[in-house]
Amino acid sequence: MGHIKLTNVTKSFGAVDVLHDINLEIKDGEFVVFVGPSGCGKSTLLRTIAGLEKPTGGELAIDGKVVNTVPAADRGLAMVFQSYALYPHMSVRQNLAFGLENTRMPKDEIAARIAEAARMLEIEPYLDRRPGQLSGGQRQRVAIGRAIVRRPVAFLLDEPLSNLDAELRGSTRAELAALHARLSATMIYVTHDQVEAMTLADRIVVLRAGRIEQVGTPLELYNRPANRFVAGFIGSPHMNFLEGTVEAVPSQKAIATLAGGHRLELPIGADIETGSRITLGVRPQHIALGAGDNSIPAKVRLVEALGSETVLHADVAGQKVLVVAPGQYDLSPGADIDLSLSAAPIHLFNERGLRLERAV
Amino acid sequence: MKAETPKSTGSGFGEAIMVPVRLAMGLVDAPLRWVQRKFGLGGMAAFFLLPNMLIFGIFVLLPFFINFAYSMTGGTALFLDDRTFVGTDQYTRLFDCSNYLDPNSCTEDTFWTAVGNTAWFVVLQVTLMILFSLVTALILNRELTARSFWRAVFFFPVLLSPVVVGLIWKWILQRQGLLNFGLYGFGFQPYTWLNDRNWAFAATVGVSIWAHMGFYTLILLAGLQAIPKDLYEAAEMDGTRPARAFWRITLPLLMPNLLVVIVLVLIRAVQIFDEVYVLTGGGPGTSTLYLTQYIYETGFATQLRNPGLAAAASILMGGVLIVLTLIQLGLGRSSEKKGSRK
Repeated sequence: MGHIKLTNVTKSFGAVDVLHDINLEIKDGEFVVFVGPSGCGKSTLLRTIAGLEKPTGGELAIDGKVVNTVPAADRGLAMVFQSYALYPHMSVRQNLAFGLENTRMPKDEIAARIAEAARMLEIEPYLDRRPGQLSGGQRQRVAIGRAIVRRPVAFLLDEPLSNLDAELRGSTRAELAALHARLSATMIYVTHDQVEAMTLADRIVVLRAGRIEQVGTPLELYNRPANRFVAGFIGSPHMNFLEGTVEAVPSQKAIATLAGGHRLELPIGADIETGSRITLGVRPQHIALGAGDNSIPAKVRLVEALGSETVLHADVAGQKVLVVAPGQYDLSPGADIDLSLSAAPIHLFNERGLRLERAV
Repeated sequence: MKAETPKSTGSGFGEAIMVPVRLAMGLVDAPLRWVQRKFGLGGMAAFFLLPNMLIFGIFVLLPFFINFAYSMTGGTALFLDDRTFVGTDQYTRLFDCSNYLDPNSCTEDTFWTAVGNTAWFVVLQVTLMILFSLVTALILNRELTARSFWRAVFFFPVLLSPVVVGLIWKWILQRQGLLNFGLYGFGFQPYTWLNDRNWAFAATVGVSIWAHMGFYTLILLAGLQAIPKDLYEAAEMDGTRPARAFWRITLPLLMPNLLVVIVLVLIRAVQIFDEVYVLTGGGPGTSTLYLTQYIYETGFATQLRNPGLAAAASILMGGVLIVLTLIQLGLGRSSEKKGSRK
C-alpha cells in the first residue's frame, strides 16, 4: 500500500510561506513527479511528506492514517537524497544494513534483503567497498538500494539524477522506470528537469511559488496546459508566446491582431470580449515554414542546423519565435520567411495567463 | 554568444592603495632579479626559505644542541666553558632507582615525583578535556539561541595569557578568595583549597581545562559542521536513535579531528607549567609539581642549581614530545589519505 493524500497542506519557515494550500492525492503504485523551477517548494513538499519537515497547516495522510505528528521513521517511507547521503565510513553492505539494524531485524533476514537488492541493482561486486571508492552512478544505485531494502510503502526521490553526467542520467532514468514497473511501489520524484518528468511520470505535479499549477499525465500537460506557466515549462524547446488583441468574435472564432498588425483567425470555445488582450502559444515543432491560411511574416535571426532538424530563431514584429523544422534548410540570418500556423495546435491564454478553451 | 566585457578591477580607493605597493615592488624587483640570475630558480626557493630557517636554527635547533651539551656536563656553573664534562652521568643519576614506582627509592626523588604527578595529570586532564570539549562542541553545534555568544564565551579563556589564568583562579580559590567568600555567604566554613593536596591537584586539572578547552572545542565544532546534514536526515528516515547516530555516524566522521585534538592535548598536558606555577607553585609540598617546573627549578631556581640535570630531564621530556608529535603527523597523513579517497 502507498496511498498518500495531502489536504490543504501549508508550510512556512518563519514569515516565509513556502507551500500554500497543497491538495493532492497520490494513488498506490503511482509514479508522481514534482516539477518546477528552483525555489518553487517541490523539495519542501517532498520533505514534508517524508516527515523531515512538519507541515504548518493542513493534513497529511498515508494509507488513510493522518501522519502529521508521526516521526519520519514510522511513516513507512524511504528517501533517496540528491547527495545520496551514504555514510562515507561504512561499506556498501553496512550502508544497506544500517536502517534495518535499527529495527532489530534478524541478521540472516538483513543479509537476504541486501543480497536481493544488490542483485536487482547489480551492485554485488561493490558490497565491501566504501562509497568513496565508487563512481557517481554506483553510489546512486547504493542510495536506491538503501531505500529498497526497507521495503517502504512509498519511495521519495529528491533529484536523484542531478549529480550524474548526461549519458548516465539517461540510462539511469530508464533503469528507474524499469525498477518502478518491477516493484510496483508508489514513487514520488522531485526534479527540475522536465525531460525526466515527462519520461518517468504517471502524473506530473507542476509547482510554482509553493502552489500547484497543474496536475496531470505528461501528455495532458503537454497538450492542454492549464496556464501560460505550465505551457512554457513543459516541452523542449519551450513554447513560443505571441501577444495579441481580439478584434472581432464571430461564432466559435476570434479574429486577433498580433503586435505587428498581422491578423489571425483563431478557433475559440470560451467567452471572450472584443478588445481583450490574449496570448497565443505555439510549440516550436508545430510551426511550418511557408505561406498558408494562417501565416505570419518573420525575419531569420539565427539558424542552427542539427542535421535531422533545423532550429530557426526568428523575429515576428519584435517578438522572438523559435521554430524546429524537420530536415535541412538553406537559410541565412536576415532572410524574410513566412511561418505557417494553419496546422498548429494554437494554445490561447487570457490576460491572467489562464487557458482559453478552443472550439471543438 | 555575446562576449562579456571584463569589469574594472578596482575603485579609485583601491587604485590609490596600490600606488605604494607598486613602488615597493619596483624597488625589490631589481635585487630579486639579480639573485635569480646569480643562483637560478632553485636557489630562489632557498633564498626565500633562508630567513625562516635562520630563525628556526638560532632559536630552536641551536638551543636543542646546546641543551644536549649541557646534559653531558656537571657542576653549578652557568656557562658551558666553566662546566666539566661528565658524559651520561646526569642521565644515570635520573634513572638511579631501586623501584621506579616509589620515588623515594630514587636518587633524584623529586624528578620521579614530578614524573608521577605529570603522568596522573596527563591521564586525568586529557580524558576530561576531550570529554568536555566534545560535549561542548556537540551542544554548540545545535540550534541554540545566541549560539555565537555562547561560542565566544567558551573561546574567551583561550585568549588569556596563562599567567592571567593562574592569577584569576588564585583570586578565586585562595583562602580569602571569591569561592570562600561565596560559600561563607551561604553559611559554609571557608576552606583552604590550594593547601589541600587533592583539591590543589584537582584545581590544576580544572583550571588548565577551563583555559584551553575553547580551542579544542573549536576544532571539534569545525569537524561536526563538516558532517553533511543529510546523513542525519537519512538516519532519521531509517529510525536511528540519537545515541546510535552519535556512535555510528558522528563519532567515526569526527575521528580525524578527534585524533588531532587528543595528540595536541597530550603534548600540551605534558608541557604544563605557567598557570600551575602561578596558581599553586607546585604545592602543597610537591603534590602539583610537574615535570617542566621540576626542570625550571632544578636548572635555575634552587640555590644548588644543577643545569646539567635539568638539561638531561628536558632532553628526556623532549623525547616524549617528539614521539607524540610524530604520532600526530602520522595520524594527520593517514586522515589526509582517507580524505582524498572520499
